[in-house]
Amino acid sequence: MKAILKKELKSYFLSPIGYVVIGIFLLCFSIFFYLTALSSGSVDLGALYYYTALYGLIIIVPILTMRMFAEERKNGTEQLLLTSPISIFKIVIGKLMAALSVIVITLIISFLFYFIVSFFGEPSINQVLVAMLGFILMSIATLSVGMFASSLTENQIIAGIITVAFLIMSLFITDISSVFTGFALINFYTSFAQGVISIENLISLLLFSVVFISFTMIVMQRRKMVK
Amino acid sequence: MIEVKNVTKKYGKAVAVDNISFTIKEGEIIGLLGPNGAGKSTTMNMITGFIEQTTGEIIVDGYDMLKKPKKAKKQIGYMPEGVPLYTDLTVKEFVTYMAEMKQVNKKERKEKVEKIIEETGLKDVQKKLIRNLSRGYKQRVSMAGALVGDPKILILDEPTVGLDPKQITEIRNLIKELGKTHTVILSSHILSEVSQICNKVIIINKGKMVAIDTPENLENKVANNNDIYITVEDLENKMATIQEKIKEIEKIKLVAQNEDGTKQYVIQAKGNTDLRKIIFSEFAKENITIFEMKKADTTLEEAFMKLIEGGEK
Repeated sequence: MKAILKKELKSYFLSPIGYVVIGIFLLCFSIFFYLTALSSGSVDLGALYYYTALYGLIIIVPILTMRMFAEERKNGTEQLLLTSPISIFKIVIGKLMAALSVIVITLIISFLFYFIVSFFGEPSINQVLVAMLGFILMSIATLSVGMFASSLTENQIIAGIITVAFLIMSLFITDISSVFTGFALINFYTSFAQGVISIENLISLLLFSVVFISFTMIVMQRRKMVK
Repeated sequence: MIEVKNVTKKYGKAVAVDNISFTIKEGEIIGLLGPNGAGKSTTMNMITGFIEQTTGEIIVDGYDMLKKPKKAKKQIGYMPEGVPLYTDLTVKEFVTYMAEMKQVNKKERKEKVEKIIEETGLKDVQKKLIRNLSRGYKQRVSMAGALVGDPKILILDEPTVGLDPKQITEIRNLIKELGKTHTVILSSHILSEVSQICNKVIIINKGKMVAIDTPENLENKVANNNDIYITVEDLENKMATIQEKIKEIEKIKLVAQNEDGTKQYVIQAKGNTDLRKIIFSEFAKENITIFEMKKADTTLEEAFMKLIEGGEK
């Protein structure tokens, strides 16, 4: 698993993908920092993380996940992957962790905003940490969806489009009708952004991830039989 | 070492591999032979655990591939068809990655990677990106990836495709060298290659196993060694009646009519007789001049064609 994590992380930063992702992410953070904190003179950083999760992840996640399995399949390198003595579970988790690491790097950089605000007031560090924890959980959930999409096809573009479509649906579904409140992924994040760890939301996000990680593993396993 | 028992692979209704069984002993170099689409790669993919068989059992070094995949896969070094590689890594990074994947002990890893790079002749290019290497070097990198982790079994899918003659000889020598310490399965549709390197051949056609034997035995098995190729000058046109004179002749077939007036025939004998003596004396009596006479000798090529055609009938 460590081998896969290391190699995936290396490929993110050997190609422009890693830098592009961090760049876009910081741009999102900066824009929402201006809109939610700077312009209103607020020291509440919860909104910053909330809006970045809502709008940023839709762009970032597909970029990180679309090539994950699609590229391996297209180049034939999945033969190397699947004939090695590493289990499918470890392969899937290794890849997921590599993508998550890129997001975590950006989150660490986002501490900058906390320091900037602490010049002018007293933002709550607890709220920021909880918001980050929630952000990581949200990332795992959305990355799992992207990874699943990537395992379905050998075309990266298709994998990306499926991911974007799914994320738009699951993040903005409440805008269609409030009936769907329970289904919108972003609603699980609201409490974290406010600095409250809700066990219910935590479990929901984890469950959501587990479902899509399992789907990915099932697809990989099934491909062994039909291919 | 490897036992394949009644293995069948179906894609929907299409049968890619049909009830194949064979056993490979330790230290053997096996050639998997067959026309394109015969099921060579499918068979190899099943042995390496890349795909699962529909029915049947594959046992690698005592471990069932489906039940104990981790242990079974650890015994195998696989070089897939078309040498897929991570082209954005350098040669050394790639070999190290493969070593990590195969769980080579961390202490020995560096040393082993260096040794394999040395063995496969990659030392000069180890810091280059794989993307920038020529086809021959890529093949070596793929081979290095298969070799890392000291597998007992090497499975090479068309290892010499796309190489120039010099590289082909080099890779063949490398395989022969490796065959001394490993059990090797290689697939190929180049017959001379297989008869040179392998000590056993499995011929597959349309998913069915047609034959398994040593290259020599296969040649002998299908050989019709009593066929005689003969070139004669037959001014009195006596070849037409010669069959009545020599009772041992089963069939005479005109092969070619040369510009200088000579004709080439194939003469098939009845049973196991060597016709050359009789032909020599009888033809002289009949005033047919023999320009050339030789016994047909079958190559693996002919054996292969015969077996495959036989299988189709």
